[in-house]
This record gives sequence, structure tokens and C-alpha cells, in this order.
Amino acid sequence: MTNYLEVTNLSKSFDSFQLHNISFTLPKGYIMGLIGPNGSGKTTTIKLILNMLKRTGGTVKVMGLDNITEEQKVKSELGVVFDTNYFSDDWKVSQVEKSISVFYPNWDSQKFADMLRKFHIAPTKKVKELSKGMQMKFMLACAFSYDAKLLILDEPTSGLDPVSRDELLKILSEYIEDGEHSVLFSTHITGDLERAADYITYISYGELFFTGSKDDFVDMFRIVKGGMEELSDDLKNKAAGIRTFPTGFEALMKTEDISGFSNLTVEPATIDEIVVFTSKKGDDYE
Amino acid sequence: MNNILKSTKLDFSLVKPYIKVIGFTMLLPIAFAAINRSILTGVSFAMCFIAMTTGYTFSVTEKNSMERLYGILPIKKSEMVTGRYLFVLALGALALVVSLITQPLVLRAMGESVGTLDMISAAIGGLFLFALYTVFQIPGYYKYGAIKGRVFMYIPVAGFLATLFFLPKMPADNPIVTTVVSSPVLLIGLVLVLVVVMYAVSIWFSIRIMENKEM
Repeated sequence: MTNYLEVTNLSKSFDSFQLHNISFTLPKGYIMGLIGPNGSGKTTTIKLILNMLKRTGGTVKVMGLDNITEEQKVKSELGVVFDTNYFSDDWKVSQVEKSISVFYPNWDSQKFADMLRKFHIAPTKKVKELSKGMQMKFMLACAFSYDAKLLILDEPTSGLDPVSRDELLKILSEYIEDGEHSVLFSTHITGDLERAADYITYISYGELFFTGSKDDFVDMFRIVKGGMEELSDDLKNKAAGIRTFPTGFEALMKTEDISGFSNLTVEPATIDEIVVFTSKKGDDYE
Repeated sequence: MNNILKSTKLDFSLVKPYIKVIGFTMLLPIAFAAINRSILTGVSFAMCFIAMTTGYTFSVTEKNSMERLYGILPIKKSEMVTGRYLFVLALGALALVVSLITQPLVLRAMGESVGTLDMISAAIGGLFLFALYTVFQIPGYYKYGAIKGRVFMYIPVAGFLATLFFLPKMPADNPIVTTVVSSPVLLIGLVLVLVVVMYAVSIWFSIRIMENKEM
């Protein structure tokens, strides 16, 4: 299987935050969700992939090319969408094409026009006149117009209404349909990933917690529920996270560990629950 | 089109909304030329004013968080920086040409005589002053950004005032000054060499700043 993105032992040190040895691979033709709580290092990872930050250690390969020594080739194959638009607000949609198309040899003006029609974006509108959802689609339209092979999205759904989020997920699913494109999609709205992602990379406070298929990630954990009297020391030791209520508890446990607690209620864990429990945030969590 | 020219074109797109302001800035010095009845003063003012607009590209970039766009474009930082210098030089050259066309017309209409030598002196003086201002401004903007570094916008004003203050105090009998001033070819050559060296050093500094900068 060809990997479109290979991140190996990627590290970055700031004064107040460190990203440690992040490694993951994204195969061609798939969508990977990059998840983690706010401040966990998702954007830092993406900026390191884009060489917008200087890495402290590790390597990044995009379509087999080093992201620093082959930076220009790499970037001509990358489409990037951030949470807010990165064009001048005063530019008209048509002017954006004139300004950036020259940088991409594969730019297809006909495709750009088709994309604008598909996304209902008027070429005469100024960027600042587009809604947040439309700006996100506009950035995607630009990336599709030069046939970016790898799409990197940093929190694209934050601030979008459910309809726009649904549209985005549909667009991404269509984008990878031909098996020639991949998507790395950072988000803390994990519900989006339940639908769209094939792979998950979970970063927690600068450390890699998990990378692999979404199904493996979800299968790895179960939610165990019971009354307070059933919260034994053994369970506490084995739980990845526990939340207590006046009436009982909920615990996130590795699937392999639940066999000893067959008397308790066991339910599948959602991605959201795994992230919340393993992040151990809040007074109710242990 | 190579990447430097593409970057210059992108910069032109950035300042397009300010084209009227820039146009006005190019024409305003006609009034100064008329008041002082001197093309040298008029062109010096023109180059001072136009140098004050070089921060527009930086401020538009900063206002719109466009460093992210520059971060994803398939272009080297050195090409991006050189493209910006080329844009600034093109802007300066345009202002110089506009001044050298409009100001003699107005001055002659007022009965002043403007000879070829006056125009060459004005062009050389204007070019030198513009270079002197922008070689400090641009690395300053790269280092501090347009908002924190807005003090760099006023370098041309400070430089212009300093020139007015120090120029009369220069020793007229200095043999080096006398030799250079008495030979137009030597003066032009010296100024051109100086301008090229100043820009080369300034571009080198700006590239270093950008390459060490995290976006």
C-alpha cells in the first residue's frame, strides 16, 4: 500500500509545550482524523508537516518526498484548508484565481469554474462576503482545481453549522472516491470522524496516544457502567478513565480487560468518550 | 514565469485595493516641486512618499493572516522575499518615472527651466533616497510585522529630514565629494553600485529573517 503521508518521530519544543515523537502513516485513498483536545498538538503537527514550523526532530514524507528538501514539489501536491480563510478579504473570488493559479502548474480554470458552480460561489463576490462555510468550500475549490493529491484540513468544521459540516464530509468522501487522493483532517468534533474517517491518530498533550484504523480505535475500548459499590480497586487500576456520579460510575476500559467485570453493564465507546475519558479532564474524572 | 515574478504579481494583487491611494501619493509631490520650484526636491519628496507605501503589502498580509497562504504556496521563502523587493523596486521605479514626466511639465509651465542634467540628478538622488529608506524598512517589516513595526513607515520622513539637515553641512571642498560630483558618470556609477550593494545586503537579511521565522 502506498503511503501519501509518513510522519516519523516528529518532535517540536516550545517554551511551554512539547510535541514528542509523533509517528503515523496515511495510506493513499483514505481519510485520517487527527484528534485530541484543544492544545494537544494537532495544529503544531500540521504546521510541521507544512514546514511552517521548524521541527526539533523526526521526518515527514509526503508522497515519498521529504517535506523540507523537496518542499516545493510537496506543496504543489498539497491542498490545505485552515479553520479561517487565508486570502485577502478584499479579493474577489475571480481575483484569487488570478493571484494563486500561477503557482500551480496543474491549475485547471475549467475545473475551478465547475467547482464554484457546484459550491454556489459567485466569482464576483468578495472573499469577505462569503459565509464561513462558503469560505471553507472556496478553499477546497482552490485545492481541487490543481488536483491536490493530499488534502490537509485543520479544524475545518469548527464554527460550521451542522448542514455545512455534513456537506464538507460529503465533499471529502467524494474526493477520495477514486482512490488517488487522501485527507488528513484535524478536528475536536469527533462526531464528524465517526462518519468520514478510515484512520485515527490521537494526540494527547503532545504525546501519540493511538494511530491506526478507526474500527481498531473504537474496538479498543468499552464503556463500563455500574453502581458505586461495584467500583472496585481492580477496576480503578485497569480503567483508562473513570467518571463518578452520585448514583454510580462510568469507566473507559480496554476491551481486553472487561472480561473480569461481566456483572457490569458494558457498552461500545464512541470516539468522543475515548477522547474525553483519556484526557482526564474535569472534577468528576479520576 | 519564475517564482520571483509570481510572488511580485501576488504582491501587486495585495495592494490593488490601495491603487488610488498609491496613485495620489505619486502625484502629490508635484505640488512640492511647484512650491520649491525644484525638480530635485519634488522627486525627493515623491520617493519619500512612495517609500511610505511599501508597508501596504505587509499590512494586508498581516491583517488577513495571509502568512498561512505564503506557508502553503509551492515557493521558497527566498523567492517570496526577492519577489517583494522586486515589487517595491517596481513601485519606486513607477513613482520615479511619473515624477520625471509630470514635474518638469509643471515646472516648465511655471516658467522654470528644467534641463536634462537636472532630471538625471533628480533621478539619481531619488533612486538613492528610495533605496536608502526601503533597505531598512523591508527587513524591519519582516522582523516585526506591519503592526508592531509601523515605526518603519516613518523611516523615509526621518531620512528625508536628516538629508535636509546634513546635506548643507557636508564639506564642499572635500576632494572625494568634489571629484564624484564633478563627474556625472562617476556619480551615477557610484550611486548604482551603492544601491545594488545596499539591496543585496538588505535582501540577505530579509531572507535570513524569514527563514528563521515560524509562521
